[in-house]
Amino acid sequence: MDKAITVAALTVAYGAATALSAIDLEIPKGKVTVLAGPNGCGKSTLLRAIRRLHQPKSGEVRLGDLPISGLKEKELARHIGLLAQNPSAPDDMTVEELVRLGRYPHQSMLQPWSTADGEAIQAAMFGTGVSHLSDRRLGSLSGGQLQRVWIAMVLAQETDIICLDEPVNHLDMAHQIDCLDLVRRLNQEHGRTVVLVLHDLNLAARYADRLVFLKGGSVVAEGAPVELMSEQLIEDVFGISCRVITDPVHERPLCIPIRNSSPRFRAEQATQL
Amino acid sequence: MPHASPTKSLRAHWRIGHRSLFAGLALVLFALMYLSLALGYRLYSPEEIWTALTAFDGSEADVVIHDLRLPRALMAPMVGAALGIAGVIVQTLSRNRIASPDTLGLNAGAAFAVVVASGLFGVVSLPGLSLASALGALVTSFVVFGLAAAAGGISPLRIVLVGVTFAGLFDSFVNVVLTVNETMLDQLLFWLAGSFADRKLDLAFNGLPFVVAGAALAVSLARPLDILQTDDSTARGLGVPLGVVRGLAFVAVALLSGAAVAMAGPVMFVGLVVPHAARALVGLGHRLQIAAAAMVGALYTTLADIVARFVIYPREAPVGAVTAIVGGLLLLVLLRRRAA
Amino acid sequence: MSSLAPRMSPALARIGRRAWIAVAVIAVVAVGLALCGIGFGSTWIDPRRIVEILLGEGTRGERVVVLQLRAPRVAIAVLAGGAMAVAGYLLQKVTRNELASPGVLGVIGGAGLGVVIFLALLSDESNALVTSIVWQPVAAMAGASVAISAVFLLSGQQASSAVRLLLFGIAVGAVAKAATLILMIVGPIYRTTQASRWLAGAVNEINWAEVQVVAIGLAIAMVGVVAVARRLPPTDLDEVSARGIGLNLPVFRILVFALASALTALAVAFAGGVGFIGLMAPHLARLIVGRPVMAGIVASFLLGAIMLVGADLIVRVLFAPTEVPAGTVTAVIGTPYFLYLVLRRGSTNG
Repeated sequence: MDKAITVAALTVAYGAATALSAIDLEIPKGKVTVLAGPNGCGKSTLLRAIRRLHQPKSGEVRLGDLPISGLKEKELARHIGLLAQNPSAPDDMTVEELVRLGRYPHQSMLQPWSTADGEAIQAAMFGTGVSHLSDRRLGSLSGGQLQRVWIAMVLAQETDIICLDEPVNHLDMAHQIDCLDLVRRLNQEHGRTVVLVLHDLNLAARYADRLVFLKGGSVVAEGAPVELMSEQLIEDVFGISCRVITDPVHERPLCIPIRNSSPRFRAEQATQL
Repeated sequence: MPHASPTKSLRAHWRIGHRSLFAGLALVLFALMYLSLALGYRLYSPEEIWTALTAFDGSEADVVIHDLRLPRALMAPMVGAALGIAGVIVQTLSRNRIASPDTLGLNAGAAFAVVVASGLFGVVSLPGLSLASALGALVTSFVVFGLAAAAGGISPLRIVLVGVTFAGLFDSFVNVVLTVNETMLDQLLFWLAGSFADRKLDLAFNGLPFVVAGAALAVSLARPLDILQTDDSTARGLGVPLGVVRGLAFVAVALLSGAAVAMAGPVMFVGLVVPHAARALVGLGHRLQIAAAAMVGALYTTLADIVARFVIYPREAPVGAVTAIVGGLLLLVLLRRRAA
Repeated sequence: MSSLAPRMSPALARIGRRAWIAVAVIAVVAVGLALCGIGFGSTWIDPRRIVEILLGEGTRGERVVVLQLRAPRVAIAVLAGGAMAVAGYLLQKVTRNELASPGVLGVIGGAGLGVVIFLALLSDESNALVTSIVWQPVAAMAGASVAISAVFLLSGQQASSAVRLLLFGIAVGAVAKAATLILMIVGPIYRTTQASRWLAGAVNEINWAEVQVVAIGLAIAMVGVVAVARRLPPTDLDEVSARGIGLNLPVFRILVFALASALTALAVAFAGGVGFIGLMAPHLARLIVGRPVMAGIVASFLLGAIMLVGADLIVRVLFAPTEVPAGTVTAVIGTPYFLYLVLRRGSTNG
């Protein structure tokens, strides 16, 4: 299996608090990798460290065989695209203006705009189905449309690897599915490597080729969803007792939560009863 | 959606190209500059103006046109362009549509630096004052943004509160210096209100290099500034080195508003008003936005300078007071529309 | 309710007693500082001697210095500082906004504009007022009321956000200040220097007639303050809850705004726009006496008086013989405090 990114003994700290401790991980090329885990487990930090938004305390992230610490900002931005958590842009910016921003890493001061740039933004808007919105202002879009536009901006960046940090956080169920279907299509039709941070375990299991569980700043387990979605493992990682069945439609594992089983929560319950 | 906003910039809406738009703006600007020579306490005909500029013979009309009107006809557009561009940059940097060199305290900082330099250190040379002014703006921008950052990323509205508070503090300091040094009061009172009256042509030529340098730096930063309209993570994801770009942008703002303040004093709220007009004309791309802000700013201050000669005719109001009223009203409109 | 029932619980009564003891201590400090304010000058006069002079003794020279030169200045500082502080207390209470004060809500700017319009319209050729000076605070009050009404009408729903409300106030204040500037140029030069001096906040060159005007106006306004004070506590509640216990908040607010405008106007009309006292004094008062309203108002008044007398004393000590506006000192002290409030995390919505 080809690897797109290698994370080697990566430790990231915020001041004195360690957010990630000695992580080793390989992100396979051309697959959808989902980072999942309870709140504060470090999944977003890991994604951001992969895109070098956090400086590691020790260890490194390699792109193929190259350590990313040696790359220039724009160079790195030509390899890895990032859709940040809750991205923001002015309400009166038009869709096309935003998508054009994705071409920044491909341009130089002397050559600000090329036909390749124009083609890339057309393709990105077409691929995400927002071409008809190109003159609309961002403030006039629905949440689902807006998220597609942001994905279009990341696509216009034309990177092999795309990182998305909780892309479906504020979307309703229909738009969550819509958005993640789009991401999977980009992966399957264009062969892009996708790294996703997802909150929802069942969405993670449904869309991941490869699932990574984090807890307390460490990788607890990784593998195909079918391997990872065991009742015992989910209880260990998420502190929840559950049943895992097979989703009859997509034939993916589906977790049905039963109750909070974390020791502290159980203790609180016990004292109240 | 509260109201149907036009989906395109006015330029696209009117179906005119960039060239026609800027040619049109330039035409209006020249017309206004001509009016700036012609209108005032005395009105002059085109012939009188032409002879004054080409064949100066020392007549009263020649002296007024050449020594009084010409400097302000040249300086007003320069100051307006400088403050307009500075306003665009500051609004993008703070992601805040009510930010401006005034509301962030930069102009007040520059003015304070000028008063200190001339009042306490006896600096009289024009380049020296321009430099002091730019340094004052630069230091203030670092302090205001630094405080905001140190507080852990405060909301855009609070940055403005911090800036306005600093502006008030600088005003008090200026008051102290002026009261202690009464001889300066007369010279500086009109300057402090922001005005183009009684300026020598030297002053305009002296500010020019600062304005040109600031504008050039701004244009070279146009594309990273485009990206800075998004959040920090997205901007870094696109490969923009935030620290470098912000630092250079501060320098550009300091050069521009420093030069403007050194020339005319703090002409209030030009940097607040102009970027809104520029964005409405050409959209959010910074290359065009900066160019449009320069043109619109030049137009606006030249027009305001003419208006200031007539609002309390036969006396003349400081142009800064005129722009402050317009800008203050626009600020109210923006706040009401929750544009910020 | 039975008349035998205690009016409040022992705990609340204890809080109230403690508050009034604190107020008494502040009052002693205020009197001491006022005496120092009178005593300090080109010649130092002993506080005991000042009391004797005030009671009718002393040489002719001493009487002129104390009664004609120094006492009016201190008296106006006491009254203006106090009025500004009470205005701030009322505004902070009724807007439930700890950042509110007459300065940032455009009230000072409006009052200043009112005075300049008054001076410009009602002066004759030789720059003498054609009407009594008594009307000057009325003009200031009209300006102040217009300004604060504009701020609240324009902000509408956004008034509930502390920071947004302040920005509306700042914008209105900026317009008022610019208009003031233009009018000052219309007016004769002598008035300009006078006006620019008091716009910065200064208490020099005051005479007893002006002190009298402020004192009488303040006495009337304070009657109103006492009347609303009994009903102030429920404004700590939100609008619906306040209505639930029988207070019509919107109407009540207008009343309080009018009072705050009047107080600010009285101060601004003669002492000029001294910033930040309306912000700091009420905070300090609440810190010292806690929640009780009447004690809080009295403490605010005294602390405001202390601040302005103190600020005036500082500029006299530091810059004598030049007359630097006392507002400079309050701005230098007030700015860092205001910044601290604004930058403190999660302190206010907005």
